[in-house]
Amino acid sequence: MSTPAQVWSYRTLIVNLAQRELKSRYKRSLLGWMWSLINPAVTLGVYTVVFGVFFGAQAPVAGNGESTVFALWLFCGLVMWNLFSGVINTAISSFSGAGGLLTRTYFPPECPMIAGLITVIIQALLEGGILIFFMAVIGNLSFTMLIILPLFVLMSCFAFGIGLVLGLLNIRYRDVFYLTGIAMQVLFYATPIVYQLSILSPTAQAILRFNPLTSYVGAIRQVAYFLDFPTPGSWMVMISSAAVSLVGGWIIFSRWAPTVIEEL
Amino acid sequence: MSAIVVEGVSKKFRLHTDRAHSLKELITRRDRNAGIDQFYALDDVSLEIPEGSMYALVGHNGSGKSTLLRCIAGIYRPTTGSVKVQGRISTLLELGAGFHPDLTGRENVYMNATILGMSKKQIDGVFDDIVEFAGIGDFIDSPVKIYSSGMYVRLGFSVAIHVDPEILIIDEVIAVGDEEFQRKCFDHLADLRRRGVTIVVVTHGMATVETMCDGAAWLDHGVLQQEGPAADIASAYLRRVNEHERAERHAEAVAAAEAATESGTVLEVAPEAVGEEWFGEDLEILDVWFADGAGEAVSTGTTGEPLTVNISYRAHRSVEDPVFGYMIHTENDTPVAGSNTRLSGIETGKIEGDGVVAIKMDQLQLLPGNYEFTIGINDKFVQHTYDRHYRSHPLAVRRGNLPIGVGFVELDATWDTASRSGQTQVEP
Repeated sequence: MSTPAQVWSYRTLIVNLAQRELKSRYKRSLLGWMWSLINPAVTLGVYTVVFGVFFGAQAPVAGNGESTVFALWLFCGLVMWNLFSGVINTAISSFSGAGGLLTRTYFPPECPMIAGLITVIIQALLEGGILIFFMAVIGNLSFTMLIILPLFVLMSCFAFGIGLVLGLLNIRYRDVFYLTGIAMQVLFYATPIVYQLSILSPTAQAILRFNPLTSYVGAIRQVAYFLDFPTPGSWMVMISSAAVSLVGGWIIFSRWAPTVIEEL
Repeated sequence: MSAIVVEGVSKKFRLHTDRAHSLKELITRRDRNAGIDQFYALDDVSLEIPEGSMYALVGHNGSGKSTLLRCIAGIYRPTTGSVKVQGRISTLLELGAGFHPDLTGRENVYMNATILGMSKKQIDGVFDDIVEFAGIGDFIDSPVKIYSSGMYVRLGFSVAIHVDPEILIIDEVIAVGDEEFQRKCFDHLADLRRRGVTIVVVTHGMATVETMCDGAAWLDHGVLQQEGPAADIASAYLRRVNEHERAERHAEAVAAAEAATESGTVLEVAPEAVGEEWFGEDLEILDVWFADGAGEAVSTGTTGEPLTVNISYRAHRSVEDPVFGYMIHTENDTPVAGSNTRLSGIETGKIEGDGVVAIKMDQLQLLPGNYEFTIGINDKFVQHTYDRHYRSHPLAVRRGNLPIGVGFVELDATWDTASRSGQTQVEP
């Protein structure tokens, strides 16, 4: 079982793996790095048109007391969601992708997983930067936006723990890959990202509060849109869900990864 | 001091690696799964590999050599038993493993070297050597996908040997690459060993085992058959391979004869076909001894004096045209000379019973030093070894009355100084 200390001693490898991933990702594409901006931009555009225009969804009043920009309100939620789904999908592909390497030379199997995580976090930071930029443009800016960083950290831990387990299971049961795709779609709409929690019935609201993602999405809107602090309740949900997921995922992964590698 | 201690290692695998890739299969097959075939790729293997030695794992395909290498490298965990390793390991299980086709050679070198545990600074230090050794040249900044397979392999090997390992683990990869590169690799491996690096190789080349390795282990179906000095293991293994082949040929011939008998045709011809087809029982080397000009048995030779090497044999069955051969090594492993009756154009004819064959030298051309003689008897195509004594007959060569030069041998050469510009005649 690899301890965090062992993994730390391989940090050069982790950095190199992440660099390799980033370097090779947009090789031979004309737009290159632009793609990492185009993707979220298009998603944001589509949701804004569908929900903001067709369905006439309204955003609440922002922290500066005047603006109501549906696209930016939506973007807050999307940044958090993209981080969540990105970490999980990358964890699944990192483990199967590193398989060839892991059967030929020894290094802790956590390394490629963390390298994948780093690439997703970089993408999230980029999106976070864009979010802050546009918030500044509409004059909705405050120091509370700095809290985005700890939120990213908590979300990464939460998603990474789940990703480690799914990545492991995916080697043995390919169903995991397809199931995850479906679960992600369901989860996306089971989280108040494109709609406000308040439009739901009290029962539905109560159910959705069991979804930790509700707290994460709520929290980023608190700090980046309403320029306020997350509620103590959501801090508790986020910290405990991140801790349980990361520790549990890490233990399961370190325990079983060597066995699974032999089946690659 | 042992660099690697393998203690009672067993490794169990499931035969059914493709099992239960869907939930339905998992559920329906659950109970049948309980007794599913498992097999031992390694069964209670124990061995010690001394520090600074070159150690070979031999055995036929599927004997568990590669599994053992992976256990030593830490990639596989033994099912039972333990592996203790002292020192930093570099593995070379597949050349260019981890190369990303879209990245340049340079980027891949850095990537691969970090996987093998080097820091950026260390790689910077040996980067030029890596490129130089691989002979990649300007291609180093091109994506590796445009490399020829040879370049790919050379770069991979070059990285692995330059990571300054304490233990280097190599799986049959040297067999790739052209002759020149192979020689370069062997030179480099010898160099590494001199610097105290422990090297473990899996190989099918018995010549490699004999000439380069100190120790060896022979595995068969996951069970350690024999462990010891490389030369002993190589000959034991070769003997087994030859026996197997003979047994197979015999079985084939018998089957053919039986088939012929059953079909009622060529009944009389069949037994004879067996005798010819089959290379006969062992031809055995009974003894090897040296004799001087007077025919007296000696244990030392003298440069410039006559020497005879006598080989007494016993043919357990008549053998057609066997080839007798010899090989001389210095005690420092350098091969000096070797030849056989076939190369000398001699037909030995039919050999039966006991007899003696001699290698006669009117003037021993070996210079003073300690040498080891290898004597072998092969079939007439030099494909099968009947018997061989590998470097087991030492000969100390002493200085005679003649003035001698340097090196291992005194060549039978003369000087011609008549054509030089001064036209002065000098006696050789």
